[in-house]
Amino acid sequence: MLELKWIDVYYGNIQALWDVSLSVKEGEVIVIVGSNGAGKSTILRTISGMNKIKKGSIEFGGQRIDLLRADEIVRLGVSMVPEGRELFPRLSVRENLELGAAYIDRAYSRRTETLQWIYSLFPILHERGSQLAGTLSGGEQQMVAIGRALMSRPRLLMFDEPSLGLAPLMVDEVFKTVTKVSQEGVTILLVEQNVRQSLKMAHRAYVLENGRMVTKQSIDVDPEKCILCGECVEICPVSAIDMTVNGQPENPGRDLGRRVSRKSQ
Amino acid sequence: MNRLISGKSFIVLIVLAVVLIFFYPRVMDSYFLHLTIAIFLAMILASSWDILARTGQVSVGQAGLFGIGAYASALLYQWIHLPPVLGILAGGILAVILAVGIGYLTLRLRGIYFSITTIAFAEALAVIWLMIPDITGGAMGVSTPPLFGGNRILAYYLILAILALVIMTVWLIEKSRLNFAFTAIRQNEDVANVMGINPTRYKVLAFMISAFFTGLAGGFYSHYNTYIIPYEVFGLNVSIACLVMPIFGGLYTILGPVIGTILVKVIEEFLRVTVPYGHQIAYGLILVVVVLFMPDGLIGLWKKRIKPLFLKKSSVG
Repeated sequence: MLELKWIDVYYGNIQALWDVSLSVKEGEVIVIVGSNGAGKSTILRTISGMNKIKKGSIEFGGQRIDLLRADEIVRLGVSMVPEGRELFPRLSVRENLELGAAYIDRAYSRRTETLQWIYSLFPILHERGSQLAGTLSGGEQQMVAIGRALMSRPRLLMFDEPSLGLAPLMVDEVFKTVTKVSQEGVTILLVEQNVRQSLKMAHRAYVLENGRMVTKQSIDVDPEKCILCGECVEICPVSAIDMTVNGQPENPGRDLGRRVSRKSQ
Repeated sequence: MNRLISGKSFIVLIVLAVVLIFFYPRVMDSYFLHLTIAIFLAMILASSWDILARTGQVSVGQAGLFGIGAYASALLYQWIHLPPVLGILAGGILAVILAVGIGYLTLRLRGIYFSITTIAFAEALAVIWLMIPDITGGAMGVSTPPLFGGNRILAYYLILAILALVIMTVWLIEKSRLNFAFTAIRQNEDVANVMGINPTRYKVLAFMISAFFTGLAGGFYSHYNTYIIPYEVFGLNVSIACLVMPIFGGLYTILGPVIGTILVKVIEEFLRVTVPYGHQIAYGLILVVVVLFMPDGLIGLWKKRIKPLFLKKSSVG
């Protein structure tokens, strides 16, 4: 469904991504993990059209989208829940939701139907419909943000750090809603620092370090094979990968090699 | 909305205001009529500046559009004796065409680039106008016969009509999906973008609407004033006035620019009479005071400080 092939992305003269490839199939939940500044958000920004690629290609549903503007890409069915939610605090919950469909004709004509669907997914939003979005709790705001993205009737929904700045209990709640959305048939691409919880719900995962994919293939997240060690996961996902499960990485990098060898001792 | 005034008395107030506005020129003397026309003209400039400001873009070159409108209608009268009302319309349309050009070049950039370009645009026009005096009249300016043969009452109704058009446009924008797009772009362009909004298109649209009314105001000014020179209509004074009035009154509201204009103009007129030189320092002082003490302008001050006082009183009594 979504296919990134060997993309390079720059901010001005500074390169942020090197040869990043990834693929997302219909109905999957894919997680990209990596530490701060690894370039996770950049990948999402690039897919949604806010950053342009210098090299490589991005295909969505068999069509190249890397040359399209962000607003055209949304119309094709790629929607994003932005980092930090970015709601309109002075508008009501309902207005915030309706905004998600207001500028996409395909979604605008079905907006009441979609709204009912979202209310059935998140009954709390129905209760709070007329409340100002700025007065909601962080977790509820996150649901509004997810609802707003769903209002555009996406086929692929991307989440940029949905657990950011939320209390642990709310984080659970948010991940549950992501699973719920996935069960509704929406394909999901998730970027997270909260590795343990996001891997629990993912079908496959990619690990990003310093703008490069650590492994060429996505890693398996079957809990039986337990690719994660206990303690250091939250700090550095890369050090947690047991490479013997997935074979040798294509381009391990100096740092990674050291860490892997330390782990195997 | 405004719970201070009930729906019925609100309608009565509006009807009263409309009647007053209509019969105003019959009862007022010439000086006050002239002052009112000047205030209405400034209101148009302020409100149209605010339309663009809703997208987060600060234009410091409204004088360029104002001057183009003024010169277009004055020169068209001089060349082909185009009736003033049509000339004013032509001024508005020409301003829109220029706005599209500048808009597409600079509004795709973010931040301060647009503001800088607009200053340069207005200043460049002033220089160009002085360089080709054969066409533009140069520093000597252009003069036209008085509007409607000098009938101030008709001029009053014309400017009132334009002002009504501006206010109605702003009202329609506020009621429509456009307002959400403008607000979204102002708050976060990236988020607006992933919501399916093309920021450049909407910013250019806002600039076009703003330019049209600024051009109309310029056209009216040239015929009403009967005489224009480049450094006046393209001057930084006009551009600054355009942004001080709405900031003073309260940004992104219908009433803000209107109230801000009335107060700024009254203060200016008062100072003009009492302080012979440098009364324009009022603009600077107002801007400083507003930015420091009331960032939401007069409307914000009313909503936050004064209205609660009233509500408390009425609930007690």
